[in-house]
Amino acid sequence: MDLSFWILQFLNAMQYSMLLFLLSIGLTVIFGLLHFVNLAHASLYMMGAYIGISVAAMTGSFWAAFFLAPMFVTLIGAVLYFTLIDRMRTAGPMNQVLVTFGLIFVFLDLVRMGWGDIALGLDGPASLSGTTRLLGVDYPAYRLFIIALGLGVMATMWLVLARTQIGAMIRASVENTNMAAALGINVSKLFFLVFCFGCALAGLAGVAAAPILSATTTMGITILIPTLIVVVIGGLGSLEGAIVGSVIIGFMETFGAVMIPSFSAVLTYALLAVVLIWRPQGLIPARG
Amino acid sequence: MKNIATKLALVTGLCLNLGFTMISTASAETKVGLLLPYTGTYASLGNAITEGFELAIEEAGRTEEFTIVIEDTEMKPPVGLAKARKLVYQDEVDVIAGVVSSGVLGAMRDFIHQSQVPLIVANAGNNLATGENCSPYIVRVSFSNGQINRPMGTWLSENGVKTIYTLAPDYAAGHQMIDAFTEAFTAAGGEVIGSEFTPFGQTKDFGPYLTNAQASGADGIFVFYAGGEAINFVKQYGSFNIKTPLYGSGFLTSPLYVEAEGDAAIGVRASLHYIPTLDTAENKAFIKAFQAKYNTMPSEYAVQGYDAALALMAAVDNGGVDRATLASQLPHVSYVGPRGPLEIDPATNNIVQNIYIYDTVMENGALTQKIIDTVPAVRDDVAGCQM
Amino acid sequence: MFYQTKLRSITLIAALIFLACYASFGSYFAREIVVEIIILAILAISLDLCAGFGGMVSLCHGAMMGVAAYGFAIMSAKLGWPLFPSALIGLFAAVVFSGLVGWVTSRTNGIFFIMATLAFGQMAYTFFFKSRWLGGDDGFGGISRFDLSMIGLETNDSLVFTYIGLVILLLAYGLTAIVMRSGFGRTLSGIHVNEDRMKALGVNTAAHRAKAMAFSGFIAGLAGIIAAQHTLYISPELLIWTTSGEALIVVILGGLGTLVGPIIGAILLVLMKHEISNYTDYWHAFIGLVLIFTVLAGGRGVFGQIEYWFNKLTQKHQSTTKPHGDDHA
Repeated sequence: MDLSFWILQFLNAMQYSMLLFLLSIGLTVIFGLLHFVNLAHASLYMMGAYIGISVAAMTGSFWAAFFLAPMFVTLIGAVLYFTLIDRMRTAGPMNQVLVTFGLIFVFLDLVRMGWGDIALGLDGPASLSGTTRLLGVDYPAYRLFIIALGLGVMATMWLVLARTQIGAMIRASVENTNMAAALGINVSKLFFLVFCFGCALAGLAGVAAAPILSATTTMGITILIPTLIVVVIGGLGSLEGAIVGSVIIGFMETFGAVMIPSFSAVLTYALLAVVLIWRPQGLIPARG
Repeated sequence: MKNIATKLALVTGLCLNLGFTMISTASAETKVGLLLPYTGTYASLGNAITEGFELAIEEAGRTEEFTIVIEDTEMKPPVGLAKARKLVYQDEVDVIAGVVSSGVLGAMRDFIHQSQVPLIVANAGNNLATGENCSPYIVRVSFSNGQINRPMGTWLSENGVKTIYTLAPDYAAGHQMIDAFTEAFTAAGGEVIGSEFTPFGQTKDFGPYLTNAQASGADGIFVFYAGGEAINFVKQYGSFNIKTPLYGSGFLTSPLYVEAEGDAAIGVRASLHYIPTLDTAENKAFIKAFQAKYNTMPSEYAVQGYDAALALMAAVDNGGVDRATLASQLPHVSYVGPRGPLEIDPATNNIVQNIYIYDTVMENGALTQKIIDTVPAVRDDVAGCQM
Repeated sequence: MFYQTKLRSITLIAALIFLACYASFGSYFAREIVVEIIILAILAISLDLCAGFGGMVSLCHGAMMGVAAYGFAIMSAKLGWPLFPSALIGLFAAVVFSGLVGWVTSRTNGIFFIMATLAFGQMAYTFFFKSRWLGGDDGFGGISRFDLSMIGLETNDSLVFTYIGLVILLLAYGLTAIVMRSGFGRTLSGIHVNEDRMKALGVNTAAHRAKAMAFSGFIAGLAGIIAAQHTLYISPELLIWTTSGEALIVVILGGLGTLVGPIIGAILLVLMKHEISNYTDYWHAFIGLVLIFTVLAGGRGVFGQIEYWFNKLTQKHQSTTKPHGDDHA
């Protein structure tokens, strides 16, 4: 086990963390602003992967899929917003969880009808198909791309939230929605925009993950649990929480698999239990 | 009045007559229960097995003779058992075929044994079902987990591979596959220098495991993965550009998934009981018929369904007319099918079949299978089976 | 707070009679369906007492049921103990497991409670899934049913077994109703409505919540013992979180906080599933749409809605109680 081994595992952990980050950030931003627990977020991730596969098959280009799939998913999100999400906003968390849980079932069968039961794959772009030398190790270029994508989204969001007017409006609405509305911020428009943005990120995560993970009809349900664990450990609704949560889970699962493989199946659950017993609101609870 | 009475008599007579004809054809019919998953993770397997089964009956022109009742196990053991009870008590089937998961098979085992309804297993590979927990009523036409992997262990060792690192999902079938391989590989002089089991259904990133396997310095990596996990594993193995060759249980690069795996599957060497490129008249005819009907290439799962129907028809031809006679005839079935020569071993009721060592290769721009070697007539040991 | 109203008694009896008739006069498979309904209904009652009265939406009820089933199966089939003591040990194991989970998660609420219970449930699931001795994911068989021949009952007869299941369902309901009507149940509802106020009144809310979970574990355990004896076989499938999710759907479909609702919900869900799966493999989508519709229609559930209309109609004549299902949000 020399240094290059640990560098490889570090990169593996980073890659997995960033994938989790892309998924959980959308979920947590929606919760932070709308106070809506959208379990169907995982289904939108699945839609991103499947739509991406279809777009790539039609156009023959991964990049077309990469850009178009999140747009289609955003469209689905917008439809959901006007049919269900908006009217469920004040219905309480229990009802929101149930409605979006129902949506998971609906999306599951929609995908089975549209794409069949057989697992599908998506080829990554040819330009990223090989390995790249980094820190003295050869690492798959596409995985580096995922790391870069995650870091890029993270930095962009940080900048937008901290430096721009819309960021200020979002922060104000997270702190106190009523006050923000009183100050003349069009809160419902803001909600819609943020919801669409969250859906786009879910679609992006789906299409970005497809070349590494295959697309299966159960991928939404299986990714739901790790994503929820990430946002709950971090603290539901906080951007920092999503970052901390995904890095903790990503690194723990990777190094758990390396060092104590026989316990890796329960490691995340054990961590979740410990965190919630110790800090019932997660590590970095959202304000407001 | 008289007119009406005549009409009534006529109608009653007609009804009686109809009833009678129905009963008389029913006695010549064989009622089959197909018990497979049509929802959940393995729905595609259930569909492939059904396609194969129906094709065989149709091809033989015997659709009139066999009534098929289809039930969904949902891959849940209690549901599978409940549906098996329904097939036996309510539909009164003569024979049950199917069963994809070993869990469902385990749940049904005692019930099948006690109710004495023959079961033709068309997938579930649990060694115990034709070993310690064997039953005269359970006949398997698919494979046992040991049967697929033992030949590969011996073959690799004899062909110059000295050290191996193994990986498989952490569930009962994964352990049985790897155990069988390890036993045969070490018996032939090889050494397994590392082994890990990945959390089943949860592992999305195989990167850490692949890095471990590579760092072990073994001559080769031997794995068992199926379905979505197989696609993930092969693609990720490809992306890391690992020089250590990849060997596996043939499900890893099954024709059903190889397209999704893409170029990463090229050069993977694996062992399986059926390869679509087998150059025999039976297989060519089968593929032609299958493609004509379903417009797609058959997988090993479709063949298992096909052979389940062939075995059933052979048992019927040998005098199997009801549960008892079918159960006594099924263990003595033997014929040449798409997979090659097949027979049921009456000592275990498991199938005896060739195991093919094959490479996945690129030919004319498409991924296909190239058979490297054939291990003929692989028979399971009588491991604690007492009929 | 729970009231055993006339409407609830009538509905309960009607549901039990319906199930008994369905099993007696229906096809063989009808009995399988009725037992499936019984198991799901008992599990849902157990979840309703946590979620409906205590506001504790748990995702480890499948695990609570599974721990009892495994406890029973291990003692009887693996260690050769007599059946009744084995069942008691199974129930005891479920009570201890649930009580512990309730105790350590007592500070969490809402989605955090859901996730914490999910974690413990999945850890229990993983434990049995990985246990080689217990057959791992394949599970193990060799389980027997209670021998009740001394009182003239042949439990291996599917109809007799179904009737016994119905009796246990009635017992589970009665026991839960009594406990929810007692001071214990009132305190539990009080904690749900305002935990701080109950603390100020000197209630050890954490201990109380733990006790409620332990009692819920006992009821869920009953479902587990029936499940193990029904299939004569056990596998980790029972403990997985989606089993708890299904129980939650049943509670919502029938009516949260009504105890009768879960029975109605279980009947509806299981029958719907079997009917629709005769026509299509895509019944998940249908269940999903029903769930969405139930929540959009006010979230009271089928029985809750009937009760709501009934109370509205009779309000003028008598001062009836407000159904608890209304103030869970």
